[in-house]
Amino acid sequence: MTELRDGNGLAAAEKLYTQYGSRARELKASGKKVIGYLTALGPVEIMTAAGVVPIRLKGNVSEAISKGDAYMESIVCPFVRNVFDAAVKGKYDFLDGMVLPHQCDSIDRTNETWSYTLKLPYWHFLNVPHVTDDPSITFMKEILRIFITTLEKFTGTKITDEAIANAVKAHNENRRLMRELYDLRKSNPPLISGVEMMKVLVAAMSLPVDESSALIKAVTEEVKERKPAGDAKGKRIMIIGDQIDDIAVIDAIESTGACLVMDDLSLGAKMYWQDVDATADPVQGIAERYLRKLKIPTTFVGSADTYEGILEERFGHMKKYVNEFKVDGAILFIYKYCDPYGFEVPAIKSYIEAAGVPVLYLEDEYSTSSLARVKTRIEAFLEMIA
Amino acid sequence: MDYFAGVDIGSTMTKVVIVGDRIEASLVGPTGPEHRKLANRVMEEALRQARLTFEDLTYIVATGYGRINVPFADRQITEITCHAKGLHSLLPSVKTVVDIGGQDSKGIKIQNGKVMNFVMNDKCAAGTGRFLEIIADSLGVPLEKIGELSLTAERIAAVSSTCTVFAEQEIISRLAGGEPIANLMAGIHDAVATRVYSLVKKLNVEPDIAVTGGGAKNIGLVRALESKFGQKLLVPPEPLITGALGAALMGKDIFERYTSEGQKPTRSGHKLEEATFFK
Amino acid sequence: MAEEKKGRAVATATAAKIPKFVRGNLSATLKAKEEGKKVAAAFIADGQDEIMRAMDIVPAWGESFSGVCAAKRDAEKYLQKAESDNFSRSLCTYATCNIGFDMIREEQGGAMPEGAPWGGMGRPDMILGNGQLLCDPRFKWPQATQHYQRDVPVFVTNMYYPPWDPNVNHHDQEAIYVKYATEELRATVKFCEKITGKKMDWDRLAATVELSDKTWDLFIDTYELRKHIPTPMDTGDAMNTMVPLTFNLGTQEAYDFYVDLKAELEDKIANGVGVADPEKYRVIWAAGLPSWFALGDFQYFNSKGVVFPVEVTYRGCEKVERLDLPKTNDPLEHIAWRWVRYWTHWYDAAKKRPGSTPKVERIIEYIEDYKCDGAVFHSAFSCRSWHAGIMQQAVTLKNVYKDMPILIMEGDIVDISSYNEADTHNRIDAFIETLAAYKKRQG
Repeated sequence: MTELRDGNGLAAAEKLYTQYGSRARELKASGKKVIGYLTALGPVEIMTAAGVVPIRLKGNVSEAISKGDAYMESIVCPFVRNVFDAAVKGKYDFLDGMVLPHQCDSIDRTNETWSYTLKLPYWHFLNVPHVTDDPSITFMKEILRIFITTLEKFTGTKITDEAIANAVKAHNENRRLMRELYDLRKSNPPLISGVEMMKVLVAAMSLPVDESSALIKAVTEEVKERKPAGDAKGKRIMIIGDQIDDIAVIDAIESTGACLVMDDLSLGAKMYWQDVDATADPVQGIAERYLRKLKIPTTFVGSADTYEGILEERFGHMKKYVNEFKVDGAILFIYKYCDPYGFEVPAIKSYIEAAGVPVLYLEDEYSTSSLARVKTRIEAFLEMIA
Repeated sequence: MDYFAGVDIGSTMTKVVIVGDRIEASLVGPTGPEHRKLANRVMEEALRQARLTFEDLTYIVATGYGRINVPFADRQITEITCHAKGLHSLLPSVKTVVDIGGQDSKGIKIQNGKVMNFVMNDKCAAGTGRFLEIIADSLGVPLEKIGELSLTAERIAAVSSTCTVFAEQEIISRLAGGEPIANLMAGIHDAVATRVYSLVKKLNVEPDIAVTGGGAKNIGLVRALESKFGQKLLVPPEPLITGALGAALMGKDIFERYTSEGQKPTRSGHKLEEATFFK
Repeated sequence: MAEEKKGRAVATATAAKIPKFVRGNLSATLKAKEEGKKVAAAFIADGQDEIMRAMDIVPAWGESFSGVCAAKRDAEKYLQKAESDNFSRSLCTYATCNIGFDMIREEQGGAMPEGAPWGGMGRPDMILGNGQLLCDPRFKWPQATQHYQRDVPVFVTNMYYPPWDPNVNHHDQEAIYVKYATEELRATVKFCEKITGKKMDWDRLAATVELSDKTWDLFIDTYELRKHIPTPMDTGDAMNTMVPLTFNLGTQEAYDFYVDLKAELEDKIANGVGVADPEKYRVIWAAGLPSWFALGDFQYFNSKGVVFPVEVTYRGCEKVERLDLPKTNDPLEHIAWRWVRYWTHWYDAAKKRPGSTPKVERIIEYIEDYKCDGAVFHSAFSCRSWHAGIMQQAVTLKNVYKDMPILIMEGDIVDISSYNEADTHNRIDAFIETLAAYKKRQG
C-alpha cells in the first residue's frame, strides 16, 4: 500500500479536490503516462495494467464555458461541454491521451471535435455496446482487446493477462474500501457528511488505484473514530444522477440540516458497487462488469417478463440503497440536454415514489449559475418532507 | 399578545405582514436592487401601520427570492411553503395553488396548509408576469390595463412564439398588419395561461384551484387560466401578500411548537437596521 | 405573399404522391389489427426494415408521425403532454411529441387524441429499438413510451460499425462488427417470430433484401440526375421523396416510386426545366434534419435563385456495388455487411486527406459532383444525434474550401416555438449575399 504524501485522509482529499489533477501532473513530471477518460465506463483495470495513470476528467461548475463554444455546439450535454472547455483552456495539458467510451451521443458525436481540437498523442474511442446480450459480451471483449492493442502500441509494452488480472484485484480492493467508507454513512447521523464524501470521491477518481485505496483507507480510519455529531433528526437524502462532481449542490442540501447519506452517481455508487469477477480470461470479467453489472441509462436492460420486473432490473439497486441507508427523500438531478437520463425520469420517479420515498426532480446545467434556484427547490422539498 | 411578522422579498415587490390574532398590517413596496436596505424600511412602515415596535415582535420569518438578505429574520422559509400556508388560511378549500409572479410561476398542491408537491418555472420569462410586462411596454399599454383590454377581444390572436423576444417581434408585425390590439392582448394572455397551465399540469390538479401573486390581479389572465383549467378559479382578496402572510403564520407555528415543548426558539439577535455585512 | 401561404409546394409531380405514402403508412397501423397483422413501433435506418416487411409486420414510424404533426404545426399539445410527466423540453422532440401522443391515446383507452393528424397512429404490439452509433433516443424512447403501455414488449438490438479513427484500418475490424450485427439481426428475427407467432420465411427475406438493394441503386441513380445544371429537383422535394426509401424500404411501392421519379427528372432535364429559373447558386444541404414546420424556407431560397441539388440528410443509401459487399447466402449477413460498409465507405477517402473526417469527405464528394457554391448546415436543438459535431464539420470543410460560404442555421425539427420566420429569412438573405460575392470572386 502506498504511503500518502499529504498526511491524513480528509485533508489530502480536500487538496486533491480543490487542485484537481495535481497528483496526475506530478506523476507525469516523474515520467508516467497519463490518460484521461470520461464516464464510469472507462475501463480503469486495463489502463492500470498498461502502467498508465488513468484520470477521470471533470469540469468546473463555477467556470463559465467560453473557449469551448468555438468548437462544440451548445446543445451538447453541459457536462461534456464544460470538460471540453476545461481541456481547451489547458487545464488538462498534462494528458498524454484520452479514451472516450461510447456512453452517449454527446460523447460519440463529439469524438472528432475532442480529438481534432486537442490533438493528443494517444486517442481511443471505446465502442461500448448499448445492450447486454451474449453477442454484446463477445463484442465487448473484442473491442477491449482492440483497446489493449492500442495501449500496447502507445506504451511500447505488452499487457499480459496476468497484469490485467492483478489490476482487476487492485481495483476490486479499491471498490471494497470505498464501500466500507460508505458504510459509515449508514448511522444516524452519518459519520461523514455528503460534502466530505464528494471530495473523497472526486479525489479518488484522479489517483492511480493504489494511491486511491490508501486515501480511502486513511479517510475511513479518521472518520470511524468520530463521535456522531449533527442533527439526528435531519432528513436523509439520496442523490441520483450522472457526474455530479462538485460540493455546491451537496452543500445546498446539507446547509438546510438534511444529510446526503447515499448516491447513485457515476462517480459514486455506480463506480464502486460492482466488482469484476476473476475469470480465466480476465477481459471476460471486465466485459461483464461494465456491460451487465454497471447500471447506467445508456445500457439497455429489459429482459424481464413483466413491466414491474423490468423496473426492478433497471432500478432495483436504488431501492436497495434506500433500505440500506434509510433514505427519507431522493433528489433526481439531471442535466439539461441529457437524453439517456431524461427519458427515464418518469419511470425512475414513479418507481422510487412507489417505494414510499418522495422524489424531487431537478433539471439543471453543469453550473453554479442557477444554484440559487436549485437551492429554493431543494429547500422547499425538504420543508415538504419534514 | 404575541406578534409575528412575515417578510416576502420577491424579485420585484417586497411584502410585509404582521399578525397577532388577526392581520395587523400588510404592506407592499417595490424591491429594487438593494433589497437588504429595503427590508428594514418596509418593516418600519409596517410596524407604524400596526402601531407596534420592533421589540413587540415575537418571531420573524423571511421568504422569497431575497430571504437570505433579511438579517433581522429569525428563520428563512421558501415561498413555496409560505404561499401554501398563507393561501390556506385565506381560502381553506383550496387544494391547488397557481402563483404567477413577476419573474417566476409556480404550482403547489396543498393539504391542510402543508405542501404536498410543487413545480416551478423560474428559468424562462414566458409564463411569468415579465412576459406580459415586456409586451405591454413595447405596445405602450399600461400594465394594469392589459387584462381588461384582453377581455374586449373578438377573438384570440394566437401568438406562436413562446420565446418572449420572438413573441414581441411577432406581435408588432401582426399589429402593423392590422390585427386589433385587443385580440393580440388576448393572444398573449392565452400564451401565458398556456405555459402556466402546462407547468401546473405536472401536479395532480384538484379543485379548488386558486391563483395568487401579481398575475392574480390581472383579470384577463385569470379568465384565460379559467378557460385552460375548465373551472372557476379562486382569487384571494390581496394576492400579493399570501407569501408574507404565510411566513408570519409559519413563524407563529414555530413559536407555538417550541412553547408547547417548554422551549424558546432562537432569535436572530439582530436589531432592525440596515444590514452591515454587505458594506 | 399568396404563394407563400400556399404551403409547401413541390417541384416534381412525383413528390406530390408522397402524402399518400405517409398517410398510407399511418392508416396501415390503424387497419393492421383487422388484417391480422402486428404493428411494430420502429425507427428509421435501423437495419430492421426487411425483417419487418418479410414478416408482414406493420411499422409505426414515430419519427414520421412527429414530422407530420410538426409540418401541420400541431405538435405543441403532444410536447406539453410529455412535459406534464417530466419529460424535459430539451429531449428529442420526435420522441416527446410521439410519447405525448401515446400518453393521450392510452388515457383515452385507445381512442385517438382529438384532431390527431390523418387519423393518428395505431397502438403497437411491439416496440423495436436499436442502439447504434446514430441516435440515443432509438434505444431510450422504446422504454419511455412503454411506461404508458406496459403490456407492449420492447426489443432493443445493437447495430454498430467501426468508429472513425484516422490511425486505424477499419477494414481489420469489419469481421467483428459484421458478426455482431448479424447476430443482433438474428435475435431481432427471433423476437418478431415470438410476437407474430409466425416463422420467418427466409426466401421471402432474401427477396426483400434483394429488392431493397435494387431500391438503393435506383435511388442513387435517380438522385444523380440532380447533378444536371439546372437541377431538376431540390432538397425541398427530397425531404418528401426520401419517404419511400426511409419508411417503405423493401416494398415494391417504394421501388416503383423511384422509377416514376427518375422518369420525371429525365423528362425535366430533356426539357431544360430547373427548380429555379434562373438558377443562380447551387448549395449543398450539408447536414441536419430540417424544421418540418418550415419546409417553405426551401421555396424562399428557390425564389432567390438558390437551389439545393444535393443533401446529406435522408440520403441513407449508396450504390451497392460501390460498397463491394462480400457474397453471402445469408440475407441477415448481407444486411450486416451493407450496414457496416455503408457507414464506413468514406473512411478511406478521409484517411487520404489529413485533418479530414468521413462526414466531410462525403460533403466534399457531393460539392464536387453537384458543383456547389456553398453549404448550409441546420442545427436542431433537440437532436444531438445529427447535430452535435456540425461546427467541427464546418471548420474542416473550410480548411478544404477556403472561402466557400457556409451557413449554420439553428432551429428544431418539431418544436416551432424556437422558430422565427423573419429572422430566418434575414439569415438566408445575408447568406445569399455571401454566395454572390463568392461566385463573383470565382470569376
